Amino acid sequence: MAKHQSSPQSASSQGANSQDANHTLEPFFVLHKAQPQATVVEKVSKSRKGRKKGIESSPKSPEKSKRTTSDEQPSNTLYEQWRFKAFNEIWSLIQSSIEGVLRDINLKLFNEVLQWIEDSFSEIKSNVKLSSSEILQPYPLLADTLCRKIPTAFVLTKNAEYVDDIQTFCDLGSHLKANRCHVANMSALDFSLKFGIGGSVRSLLRQLHSEPLDGKIADMLTLAKWYCEEENNDKPIVVMIDDMECCNADVLGNFITMLSEWVMKIPIFFIMGVATTIEAPKNMLPSDALQHLNPCKLTLGTPSDRMNSLVESVLVEVCYCFSLGHEVSVFLRNYFLRHDGTITSFISALKLACSKHFSLESVSFLGLYMLDQDSEERWSEKFVYLPESMKRCILNLHSCKSEKNLQGGVGSIVQQLSDLKASQRFWSSVVLCLFEVARYSKMQFLDIFCEATDPKMYCMNGSENILKKHFRCGDKNSTARSSSGVGSITRVIHTIREMPVAALSNLLDKWNNHTEEMTEINEEVKKLQSVLASVDEGKVYEENLHNIRNRKSVSVISGKGNSANEKVAMLLDAMIRKYMKPLECMTLHEIICFRDVDVLQSGLIGDPRKTIQLDLLKCHSYLSCSCCSSDAKNLSPSMHDTSIMYKLAQEFGDVINLYEWYQSFKTVLTSSSQTSRKRGCPSPASKKAKPLPPSETEALIQARFCGAVTELQISGLLRMPTKRRPDFIQRIAFGL
Amino acid sequence: MAPKRKKVEVEEEEARAQEEVEEEDEEEEEEELAFSRNYFLAKEVGSASGKRSAARKVSEINLVDEQLLRASLSELPTKHEKEIGSLLESYKGLYSNWLFELRCGFGLLMYGFGSKKALLEDFASSTLTSYTVVVINGYLASVNLKQVMTTIAEILWEHYKCKAKRSTGKKQQTQLPNGLKSVDDIVTFIVDISDDCNCSVCLVIHNIDGPALRDPDSQQHLARVSCCSCICLVASIDHVNAPLLWDKKMVYTQFKWSWHHVPTFVPYKVEGLFNPLILFSSGHVQTTKTALVVLQSLTPNAQSVFRVLAEFQLANEKEEGMHVSELYTKCREQFLVSSQVTLNAHLTEFKDHKLVKMRRHSDGQDCLHIPLPTNALEKLLQELV
Repeated sequence: MAKHQSSPQSASSQGANSQDANHTLEPFFVLHKAQPQATVVEKVSKSRKGRKKGIESSPKSPEKSKRTTSDEQPSNTLYEQWRFKAFNEIWSLIQSSIEGVLRDINLKLFNEVLQWIEDSFSEIKSNVKLSSSEILQPYPLLADTLCRKIPTAFVLTKNAEYVDDIQTFCDLGSHLKANRCHVANMSALDFSLKFGIGGSVRSLLRQLHSEPLDGKIADMLTLAKWYCEEENNDKPIVVMIDDMECCNADVLGNFITMLSEWVMKIPIFFIMGVATTIEAPKNMLPSDALQHLNPCKLTLGTPSDRMNSLVESVLVEVCYCFSLGHEVSVFLRNYFLRHDGTITSFISALKLACSKHFSLESVSFLGLYMLDQDSEERWSEKFVYLPESMKRCILNLHSCKSEKNLQGGVGSIVQQLSDLKASQRFWSSVVLCLFEVARYSKMQFLDIFCEATDPKMYCMNGSENILKKHFRCGDKNSTARSSSGVGSITRVIHTIREMPVAALSNLLDKWNNHTEEMTEINEEVKKLQSVLASVDEGKVYEENLHNIRNRKSVSVISGKGNSANEKVAMLLDAMIRKYMKPLECMTLHEIICFRDVDVLQSGLIGDPRKTIQLDLLKCHSYLSCSCCSSDAKNLSPSMHDTSIMYKLAQEFGDVINLYEWYQSFKTVLTSSSQTSRKRGCPSPASKKAKPLPPSETEALIQARFCGAVTELQISGLLRMPTKRRPDFIQRIAFGL
Repeated sequence: MAPKRKKVEVEEEEARAQEEVEEEDEEEEEEELAFSRNYFLAKEVGSASGKRSAARKVSEINLVDEQLLRASLSELPTKHEKEIGSLLESYKGLYSNWLFELRCGFGLLMYGFGSKKALLEDFASSTLTSYTVVVINGYLASVNLKQVMTTIAEILWEHYKCKAKRSTGKKQQTQLPNGLKSVDDIVTFIVDISDDCNCSVCLVIHNIDGPALRDPDSQQHLARVSCCSCICLVASIDHVNAPLLWDKKMVYTQFKWSWHHVPTFVPYKVEGLFNPLILFSSGHVQTTKTALVVLQSLTPNAQSVFRVLAEFQLANEKEEGMHVSELYTKCREQFLVSSQVTLNAHLTEFKDHKLVKMRRHSDGQDCLHIPLPTNALEKLLQELV
């Protein structure tokens, strides 16, 4: 990278330096224009181009690779491009999977909404038939309030955070647009007091008009004219407000009242997102607006349902090319549960994890071939052209160090990668089987996922039977353990033992699909299916009922484990032990597995309040100079002024007396410089101060004091003195 | 004469009302602070205010001349220059990762103690060569977001026109930037044409939490622009509470921040350029200086009138103020004013510059008072010679 940019870098930075002085006081300026030869194709990631195109341009061009091998020096820029392409490919795959999942979850609601609009629209059409000229006449007003009701769907989002619903409403909008509706997707910003009702109407028109308004007056007559145009007529207009409770009630009320005047001429429908209860619109809107609404209630799925589907499709089904390590999974689970519980934050965290993985792991581009049918061939082709340094990178991966087989060369690396791929397939199949049971018992998939990625769990499984372990742990602990994310798999196995036959039979049908690649297990599943089918259903049912009644007395170990339920549980246990090998236990897992939880956490949650204070209190750890003491409590004159000041400020209470603060600061700068002089290692500050006359030394100290206070003020750690208390400064941040 | 006097009275009333409001505001502020902290710290405030009379004052510091201090401040040698240099050098190794994240669609948010201006501009000029880079100095209060947005719109419009020219069949549907009136219109224009622009613009914002960008509207505009397909954002924050500027929608769907902790310990020289110096901004120091400047610009007679009033105030510290009639008599004796009108003209001047305040004496008459403590007044008189 550095080599690639050396010339423009030096040129541009020199230019920047010379202009620096002028630019600091300009509010804004253009630093440089884009260099034409290196236009970045950013839109690949944003427009999500198809996979085929991506693969063609992805890292397999032998010519490029040949060139790098001949150069004998790996070009970081080239690998970076490969990794970026791999990221684009994989993230677009994950994103389309996310979009698909969310769309499928909401599809039922979307169809419900569409049906409701179609029914109401046909009703309006059957009652009123107006010509264009009649529509365009603003008068006569409709006197009858009964006729002036706007059909309104209140969609209960069941989500205090509306950020998740923004996408849902966008999807709903596109669904309705595809089904012959005009759609305007509005938000609380369009109903603000600042712009008033004019702003709302303008925003509505702007969204409905495909062309800009070009200075047209934004009023209802413009809307009526637009609706009378042939291509716009005969379609319902749907106005969606995703966060109705955040709107200004008066502006929204006026908007509703105004639209109600035209409702017989222009068929308008409202869809409003309500985060709290159905009572919210009643409490919020003025009664005269409320009487113009003809409400209907619809409900969205809960975030935990959506999360389950996401985990299933994104983290388990599309995990061959990018996967999360155990610690990262646990972090993301806690981030979802404890941070804000929104799918949006989870997805953005996942995307950051993905980008960090491809940005930091030098050989991550190899993961892209996990998606291909003929991965082995691709890898073999690739390795031929990879320079030695890159091969060394692969062999230096932490998981390879103990693996002696890999020293055999390219063939063994490819073999290990194939094993990794196969193992991931088996792992995901078993996890999907676990999810099927979890679906039945309404457990959180994310808990199971976290446990399934735990390498310690696998080491334990190797030595003992999960059922036995579960028995040893005892049922009492299971609930408590499950709430902390531990023991979810044992709970799943326990659930199987309690399942009725019909559910068990369903479960085996689904397992049959999931275990197709594991022949041995698949045969067992089929056997169990036939056992279930051959036994007289009624008899099994009775037996099962009997089991349920006497469950507390049934012992797993005492040999009564011969029922179908027990057999299925045993099968799952065997599956887990044999096939659910967490990714982190595999050689070369670093290529597809992101494990660096600290990097993710710091990228996701910047905590400036704590970090900036820590910077000041522990500045030595960043500067690592020889002149200052590494002990945080010691103050020496050579330390950063602001750091000295902030450390001194810690000794004050809520307010700091400026005089005392200044005196302490002065003492640190002067007295300690004397001691350091005695020691014979003068600090830079004392060196400067020595030859100066006292007045200038005083000026220097006062200047340092003023500068440090300004810096603390910029950091927001202080509040300037008030007129009433001119000698005191207010501290703002207390504790880390 | 009568309406004039009335006008003066009205003005005085207004000034008094304004002062009262200011005082109330400050009281409210203090109350707020007391409530905002926990019980023990609130107690501490109480005890601190109790001791206030015994507390040392800034005026007790032997302050050097402001000019000298400013000169020393501008020439202040940076401590640990070498270490700071190597710290900045160490961040250069991360440039390629930062670029990677930008290309992945994230916005870079740099935080940590120290000015990040040089770091960001070095990153932009060395690594973001394929982008057109627009730098916004958010630390300046003079930033006008409309001008910034217009510049961005013009850059995009140029590319858009070139592209439209090449594909001749395409009808130009969008309006010219010249016809756009409000910031909102310009932002909408940018959002509309960004998908069709074959260029990449990077906005480097120093202090996105700066004084001119702190308001919700500016943040909304920046958020809307940041999620355009051809625009990416690199920003820095310095204030510990900066994250409070954004809601979840802005953070997750618009800015898409990737946080980077990059403490530089570089002095905030440019960022703090317009901040008042603490030792000179507080208390009466500033007032004495400004009072002197104002008085020196007045006529010698006016200066003498002020001196009469000041000397009276110094001689009678316990008095609430000097009666206007008394001042008139004394000034007339010294041939400083010839009539009440001349005196009133001087007094109006003083009041306008807040050198003198009108007070209601306990005997019901209006009296004049200089709002400066005794020592400051003495100093002022010495320097006025």
